[in-house]
Amino acid sequence: MTNSRSFTVLAAFFGVICGWAAIHSFFFIHTRSVASDAIQGVFAGFGLAFLTVHILANLKVTKVNGWITMFGCGLPGNGMFLRAVCSHTFLGPVNVPQEAMYWITNVDGARRGLSGEHNYIMHFPAGGLPPNNAFWSLTMGDAGNRFVANPIDRYSVSDRSGLGSNADGSVDIYIQNVAPTDRESNWLPAPSGKFNLWLRVYMPGGAILDGKYNVPPVVEVK
Amino acid sequence: MEHMEWQHLVIFAAAMVLGWVSFIYFWPRLLLYAYKRAILGQGFGDGPVPVNTLYAERQAHFADPLHVPDSGSNLMNTGVNRDTLLTAGWLDLGKGPQILHVPDVAGRYYSVQFTDASKNINFAYVGKRTTGTEAGAYLITGPGWKGAVPQGVSQISSPNNSVLVVGRVFVENDRDLPTAYGLTKQIQLSPWTQP
Repeated sequence: MTNSRSFTVLAAFFGVICGWAAIHSFFFIHTRSVASDAIQGVFAGFGLAFLTVHILANLKVTKVNGWITMFGCGLPGNGMFLRAVCSHTFLGPVNVPQEAMYWITNVDGARRGLSGEHNYIMHFPAGGLPPNNAFWSLTMGDAGNRFVANPIDRYSVSDRSGLGSNADGSVDIYIQNVAPTDRESNWLPAPSGKFNLWLRVYMPGGAILDGKYNVPPVVEVK
Repeated sequence: MEHMEWQHLVIFAAAMVLGWVSFIYFWPRLLLYAYKRAILGQGFGDGPVPVNTLYAERQAHFADPLHVPDSGSNLMNTGVNRDTLLTAGWLDLGKGPQILHVPDVAGRYYSVQFTDASKNINFAYVGKRTTGTEAGAYLITGPGWKGAVPQGVSQISSPNNSVLVVGRVFVENDRDLPTAYGLTKQIQLSPWTQP
């Protein structure tokens, strides 16, 4: 996603080039040639464009309860700006919303970074699992977005994990490094360090496409 | 020629606008180019994937996702995915249309996404949501192609000769993996020439 550090560094780098080109073109104008005007202009344009896409990406994402998603990607006719933003954010081909929606987070509901040093619960109210016509899943990735080794070889929980419900029909998912006592069926094993969570919903229901479905926050257990 | 500051500014500004627009316009294409190189140049563990063919992710890799094949590009593993087996390929429709063959998947979720490589937009899908889960054949034609579409085949018109194809086949659980893999392998491309 766009909040990666390398992108920020690259954006800053382009910014410095732009600033240098701007200063140079105003104060050292008598030493300039047409070729240097054109070349530096193009590079300054690249830099501004990168910043434009980066800023737009942060404006266009939908953030709910710490979860980040984007609507409109992959759709024909979505315009060159949104296309650039989607490619920039997901770095590759991404499904149209009707086929699948993806949410990612690396923070809990209180915007603190997710880490296996803490225990978390994701609470879906009764009837509040993601509406879909295919499947949904919640997948664990470590800080480098790799699978996390664990004693029960479980890398995700989903509609086919046999998740247990609470008495009121709600579902709690335990996201932590060590298995929860008596709740292993609802355990999504976390690494000991930082991690990311991916929520995928394939053939999402109308409430998701209308933007009315809110993904519940990941809440730290005190 | 002493006083030509404003010309410098005009040239600089024009070049800057040009750079700005072209970067934004071509950014999706540049990022997808990495996929082209990964598919045609490196492959996913079994050598490069020839143009106009599909490569199905290894069953063993899905079963044990902690061990990525050494020689393969890790692009296919971008994002942790425990839901679908992937199949991927790069089309060049410049030499003629291709036919996509899909098996009867008996109600299972699957999709084959066709992505315009210059814009990163998906101009067509074959799969449960769009075409159902019965066996079928689809003629994928490049821009400006004229000809007769064979009987029993639907046409998919691509706006571009370069197309990224990504297929996803749902895996219910570990026991279901061999069945899902068998179906994924049956999603195939073949060239088509006018009879």
